[in-house]
Amino acid sequence: MTTIPVVYVKGQYNHLIVRNLKELGVESKLLTPSVPLEQLESMNPDALVMGGGPQSVRSPNQLTGELADAARLIRQVKLPMLCICVTHQLLATAFGGVTEAAQKPEFGPVEISVIDEGRILEGLKPSFTAWESHNDEVVKAPEGFRVLAKSNNCEIEAMRHDNRPVFGVQFHPEVSHTVKGVDLFKNFLHIVEET
Amino acid sequence: MGKRLSVAVEGFHPSTFLSEETARLHDLARGKKVISAVSGGVDSTVATLVARQALGDNLLPIMIDTGFLRLGEPERVKERLAKPPTSLRVSLVHAGGRFLASVKGETTAEEKRKKFRETFYQILKEEAEKEGCEFILQGTIAPDWIETQGGIKTQHNILEQVGIDPATTYGFKIIEPLADLYKDQVRTLGRHLHLPNELSERQPFPGPGLLVRCIGNVTKEKIRVLKEATKMVETSLSPFNYEQYFAAVIENRFAKDPSLETVSETASEALGLPKYEVHADVFEDRVTGVKGDQRCYGLLAGVKLSEESRETYGWLQDRLRQLQAGIVEKFPDITRVALLVKERRGGGPLSILVRAVSTRDFMTAAVSPVPWKILKDIGQQIFKEESVSRVYYDITPKPPGTVEFE
Repeated sequence: MTTIPVVYVKGQYNHLIVRNLKELGVESKLLTPSVPLEQLESMNPDALVMGGGPQSVRSPNQLTGELADAARLIRQVKLPMLCICVTHQLLATAFGGVTEAAQKPEFGPVEISVIDEGRILEGLKPSFTAWESHNDEVVKAPEGFRVLAKSNNCEIEAMRHDNRPVFGVQFHPEVSHTVKGVDLFKNFLHIVEET
Repeated sequence: MGKRLSVAVEGFHPSTFLSEETARLHDLARGKKVISAVSGGVDSTVATLVARQALGDNLLPIMIDTGFLRLGEPERVKERLAKPPTSLRVSLVHAGGRFLASVKGETTAEEKRKKFRETFYQILKEEAEKEGCEFILQGTIAPDWIETQGGIKTQHNILEQVGIDPATTYGFKIIEPLADLYKDQVRTLGRHLHLPNELSERQPFPGPGLLVRCIGNVTKEKIRVLKEATKMVETSLSPFNYEQYFAAVIENRFAKDPSLETVSETASEALGLPKYEVHADVFEDRVTGVKGDQRCYGLLAGVKLSEESRETYGWLQDRLRQLQAGIVEKFPDITRVALLVKERRGGGPLSILVRAVSTRDFMTAAVSPVPWKILKDIGQQIFKEESVSRVYYDITPKPPGTVEFE
């Protein structure tokens, strides 16, 4: 059975990620970001999903304890990884990208235009409706990453690492109103199975 | 969290859940009496039925009449639950006066919720002492503790998850059989337990009841008007399949912050309508919302469109979304936007807000497209109440709003 823990950074929807994965037959549970690497390894995980949360990553040097721990996981864990909302921003800053306060924050339904399916957005071209809730946004993707999707308000709605199966999405695939969110999780599982 | 196997294996299996949970409850209570706090809602009813399978006659269901329940609700629930297949003998504890006194003078949502929670558990403590009970059983579900822990709002039934130890504070322990489940899973479990539709599909009603739909200061008159409006809205909207629909009440006092003067302009721009056709008022009392996973206790903008624009509400569905998003994006302190349905000159000091949403799990919610004619009919009915001069329809999804107002 595939095992994919979800890193809990206090977002309201983190528990819904676990629910989505379980419904797809994956073994999953919430882990706090301070989990020691040995403990994580002992679970034999096949991949990692990182949830959203209320903190801001605008100043990468002043991260709160939780996000500092989450950034450590992002840098150290060499598994397929999907980072959602605030951890998408954290993924960007951890690898040298930039996150700033959004000119137009997005709450509720947003139309996402797919530029490049990049495997994770397979079948979602040309666009789909996703639900969002963010005050900050990634304004510059890190080197070695490419942008996969954008919206009217936000240029970087999704990105992936060029060579490794590491993905970030600004929107919330785990909420039921993001109707095609389950496709994104299925794509992620396919990628995990092939890795 | 994450402790139940039945939820861990491919989806949710009611029969596995039941056998695991009844075994756990049986071990936990070890033949002692357990009080179950019921409200008539699906969560507490299902939790009580699960517990009864494990505990039999040692389970004592009680219902607290907080005074913030709907017209005739305590009696109706008691009677309904007494019938098969639930066959629960519920004792009613009347405490309306105590609850009203406890929230007197409180105007902010969190303080009201905390006062409510205190009174609620104080009464449970007294009942537990009377019966010699060590345990209180309640129908907490996943979003309750997720929102309280995340600081979005204080749910009345959350103690342990926020670091309050009920054993030292109130002298009893809490059992929450459904704490890992979402609403739709609870309904599935309810159907598995042969609950009739009217119970398993019943729309949620918050624990603090009408208290959290009475925005700001609580008065007897506001609660009385709200009870009447609630009945009208529920009757008018029940034929539609909206998951949640209700009324709220707010006083017509408006914020005078100069930074809010351009809200009308933003509203007209978002709608692509001339300025003279659009006017926005921003209410003084604050309402709960959630932006970027953070609680946002913000302002409510009430937008009035000219008669002709309002009559074309049909084509405006998409525009209304732009109206709401346009205002909330531009004004960080505004959380919610409502559209004026009806007003009258010289009416009383109150506005009624109508809300209807579709949602699977209450974590996100979309505004339901209630036909404009139905909204106008509701407005007309509500004007039977002298103290109401305006009726609005809330056009805010969650996020940035929440389902309830406080």
